[in-house]
Amino acid sequence: MKQVNEKKKWTPRRARRLASSILGHGFLTVLSIVWLFPIAWLIMQSFRGEPGAFTKYFIPKTWTLDNYIRLFTETHLFNFPRWFMNTLIVAIFSCLITTILTLLTSYAFSRLRFKARKPMMNVILILGLFPGFMSMIAIYHILKSVGLDQSLVALVLVYSSGAMMGYYIAKGFFDTIPKSIDEAALIDGATKNQVFWHIIMPMSKPIVVYTILTSFIAPWVDFIFVSVIMKDNYNMYTVALGLYQMLTRENIQQYFTEFCAGAVLIAIPITLLFIKMQKYYVGGVTAGGAKG
Amino acid sequence: MKKLLSILLVLLMACSMMVGCSKEPTVVNLKVWGAQEDQEMLAGMIEEFKAANADKEWNIELGVVGEPDAAKKYLEDPEAAADVFAFANDQLRDLVNAGGLYKVTRNTENFSDIYAPGTIDAASIDGTLYAYPMTADNGYFMYYNSDFFTADDVKDFDTMLDKAAAAGKKVFMDVSNGWYIASFFLGNGGTLSIGADGKQVCDFNNDKGVEAGEAIKAITAHAGFVTGDDSILIAGIQDGSIVAGVSGTWNAESISKAWGAAYAATKLPEYTTASGKVQMGSFAGYKLVGVNSQTKAPVEAMDLAAWLTNEANQVVRFEKRALGPANVNAANSDAVKANVALAALAQQSAYAVSQKDVLGSYWTPAEAFGVAMEGKDYSKSVQEQLNDMVAQIQQ
Amino acid sequence: MNKIKEVCAVIIETIGSIIGKMGRAFVNFFKHFAQGDKITKLSYVVMGAGCFLRGQKAKGFIYLGIQVCYILFMILSGGYYLSMLPTLGTNQQGEVWNEELQIYQVIKGDNSMLLLLFGVSVVLVTFGIFILYLMSVNTAYKNEVAVKNGEKLLSFKEEWNMLFNEKYHITVLALPVVLTFLFNVLPLIFTICIAFTNYDKMHQPPGNLFTWVGFENFTQVLYQNPLWATTFMRLLTWTLIWAFFATFLNYIFGMLLAMLINKKGIYLKKMWRTIFVITIAVPQFVSLLLMSKLLNDQGSLNNLLISLGWIEDYIPFLTKGNIAKITVIVINCWVGIPYSMLITSGILMNIPQDLYEASKIDGAGPIRQFFSITLPYMLHVTTPYLITQFMGNINNFNVIYLLTAGDPKSLNLYQAGETDLLVTWLYKLTVNEQNYALAATIGIIIFLLLSFISLVTYNNSNAVKGESDFQ
Repeated sequence: MKQVNEKKKWTPRRARRLASSILGHGFLTVLSIVWLFPIAWLIMQSFRGEPGAFTKYFIPKTWTLDNYIRLFTETHLFNFPRWFMNTLIVAIFSCLITTILTLLTSYAFSRLRFKARKPMMNVILILGLFPGFMSMIAIYHILKSVGLDQSLVALVLVYSSGAMMGYYIAKGFFDTIPKSIDEAALIDGATKNQVFWHIIMPMSKPIVVYTILTSFIAPWVDFIFVSVIMKDNYNMYTVALGLYQMLTRENIQQYFTEFCAGAVLIAIPITLLFIKMQKYYVGGVTAGGAKG
Repeated sequence: MKKLLSILLVLLMACSMMVGCSKEPTVVNLKVWGAQEDQEMLAGMIEEFKAANADKEWNIELGVVGEPDAAKKYLEDPEAAADVFAFANDQLRDLVNAGGLYKVTRNTENFSDIYAPGTIDAASIDGTLYAYPMTADNGYFMYYNSDFFTADDVKDFDTMLDKAAAAGKKVFMDVSNGWYIASFFLGNGGTLSIGADGKQVCDFNNDKGVEAGEAIKAITAHAGFVTGDDSILIAGIQDGSIVAGVSGTWNAESISKAWGAAYAATKLPEYTTASGKVQMGSFAGYKLVGVNSQTKAPVEAMDLAAWLTNEANQVVRFEKRALGPANVNAANSDAVKANVALAALAQQSAYAVSQKDVLGSYWTPAEAFGVAMEGKDYSKSVQEQLNDMVAQIQQ
Repeated sequence: MNKIKEVCAVIIETIGSIIGKMGRAFVNFFKHFAQGDKITKLSYVVMGAGCFLRGQKAKGFIYLGIQVCYILFMILSGGYYLSMLPTLGTNQQGEVWNEELQIYQVIKGDNSMLLLLFGVSVVLVTFGIFILYLMSVNTAYKNEVAVKNGEKLLSFKEEWNMLFNEKYHITVLALPVVLTFLFNVLPLIFTICIAFTNYDKMHQPPGNLFTWVGFENFTQVLYQNPLWATTFMRLLTWTLIWAFFATFLNYIFGMLLAMLINKKGIYLKKMWRTIFVITIAVPQFVSLLLMSKLLNDQGSLNNLLISLGWIEDYIPFLTKGNIAKITVIVINCWVGIPYSMLITSGILMNIPQDLYEASKIDGAGPIRQFFSITLPYMLHVTTPYLITQFMGNINNFNVIYLLTAGDPKSLNLYQAGETDLLVTWLYKLTVNEQNYALAATIGIIIFLLLSFISLVTYNNSNAVKGESDFQ
């Protein structure tokens, strides 16, 4: 500690700042390379011309767009465009349902007072402690018993069914909105329904965006529940499971580079969404997840 | 309220379904499972089947479930599984235990003449036939580069390893895999059988087994040896670092492409134990076609299964996908005999053991032993490790 | 120890109050029956009588309709499933020789799994109806009292409007509750029941039956079956070690990264943040599967290091027990640091600057400032986040399954590998081994573990206390 102070005396302040700035930027650059490296590799693989799952070198020897073209043209076995549409449909509907239900639930737990409030919150907390796919087989048979197995509706239901369980962060956010605002509106004769839609919602952009974002992404990345529900019905697969199928023992040799191409294609929209919505995402999760 | 309604709805549907079932079906609905790369070929076979049985109206659907995963996928929900599906014969016992297969009883009179020796046994349990033999090629042997090794070199594992190591090349075998690693034990007299309680019995930890284990330890530690999965093998062959490897017919195409004229294959080599040279054994696997016990149209499903495995279609399978036929006539054709990989498999078959008596409990512990050898984990003696392995297998 | 005592006290208190409430409801149930008039007494048998006979027609007939539906349902199928619950079926699938068709025709037996699933559903439905019944009885009594006092009963329209104001919570929560019941509660209760049966490979429906075995699976996994018990203990230890490192390393490094980017004199803050955000956006099943290829013994990374001359032989990143454990923790940092960077960077900026100024005057350097100001402040604010992260990591299926699938396998573990967490073991037992009973048992044990951790921590965290301040 003492040495540092001594140093200060004879080193001009600006030089020291400069040094630390260069160090900081250098360190960030190294970290960025480490973080972007696998992604760069993914992109390179997706343009690789040589076949096979596995090469010992990093940079492809031949470059090609074939992997992308094949995704959209050779659809008799792996119907990527169809999977993409399936996922999009499921994502849109489950995102709509989840967002509305999550926000309503959180609003109820944050603002409304009723006898079952505390017990319900506790029950949800307890439910959340069980490993999620412990019950996947039961879910499949429930869906099957109402004739919904192997359908997109089933997927929408499964992805939306967790809406209530995810109340925690949005409730945290609503808790930060002063209660006096809605009390004033209630005195003016508004119903609680109106308060929610016309007063709370407009003030909650970050958490709305956060909920939309997380629920929209879920169907793009889950492959466990889809495989339990869709089983052998390839036409109803989502991109995540479809791409995952390309990596099975029989397929990997032939389809690995196509897998990379498909992965790049689904990563692009999600990345753009994330970059665009970053501010709200952070706002939502910090306000909701942590409070002093 | 909603829930109640939905349950009532289910009930109504269940009732209507039961009523529906009792009626004589006019259209026969069947679903067939096959491997990803077989889909087109299967579709062709099914079209021919429909044409040959034009007296009924058929609605036959194809699903993608490969033979290695068939039992697993079947057991997830037997009712939703295919009516007719192909599977590897080591799954036979699990499927039969689960009551999953119809016994094959129609038109079986001359089966013993039609099918190659061993195939009927591979599809039967206690003398009852449960499935139609489809292919007899689910085994492994040694691929080698004939520019590098002579036909004499490949008779002995040690010679191969020394020669490869001297040239900075590698000989490949996937030892962290129960299917391949068994070849050492089976070659030295080890056996896998089914006990009276239906559990696996394994003697790989007796003196002979320990000899084999020590040999595995020596081989995996050799500079000329490399292990890994198929993708390592193919990549190694393509870049020239691997000059020989143990694998099966499914890699024949990629390997022959990479090696060109130097492409060759033969039976597995001999390896050295404390008491001398031992010929490596192997598992002989078959692929079978079975009929789901939950099917609504057992007779038609059996006819379809029989059709998919008849002589003509076994020939088609060989021609399109180079799969080794289980049918005697198809297997004895000149084309099959000229196939390098299938010829090597046939050579190895003299030392092969049927995979039928291998239960699911065998694979993970056997793999774990291979992993320990591969990772050069010598914290315990080979005897102790094999004892652990056998204890787990017999669990 | 004190905390545990406190927690136990809380639990006992909760249970006590529940029993108290139930007791009072029980007493009221009979007292109201004795005190009530004929109509009220009638509504103990005919649901809704206390409503439609007193003018609340719509509400009364809805109650009555529910009762009729339920009775019909029980007669038609519910009763059957309820009666099968104790045995889970007795007719095993069989076969008879059909001479005409020349086949052994399969005769379907009972399907234990469906019997259990529907049986549990019927119990849940009955429970729900019972609560509605209590509500209807209660309404009947209240209506009687209200009429006696000369008050006007609410019309259907008035009650409907209340659903958007005073009783808005019912409107809002109805659908989420139904979905949660169908897809979370019911499946969970079913799975919990499975833990008390012998549903495994040898007892697989529809070919075979399974039945109740009591606590057998629990005793097996905890001590009777040495292999299961050692596997369980070792995986439990590793799960806890993993969760600890995965949570705190990500947290600390994410915070340091955020501080670095937030620092004065760092340009292009937005760009740096975006670079790390990109890695969040690539789906885990893609990035992690690629990582596993990259880190393969013969993989690109090993080859690169060898060709650079940094190492002689390959590093068994994923194939040797302890190295693989370190690898998964490090890779998890790659996955998780950007998240915690995003989350902490906002909060970091909220730390009052005068705290730093004051400590600077005291002569504290950046390292001391971090430990005496930043870290305590952040821990104080983000405890709930850390707790959820820790619990999430105990159940972190994706990272382990996609990266190593639990491998390398070990001879000391039953159907598991060195990096398997309890939750991936559970998955493997279900999917590969069809040992549903054992998997469900482990699921319950994971639950008990997590609920213990959460009770101890939540009851002592600021967020929970803050919540009560807020009310």
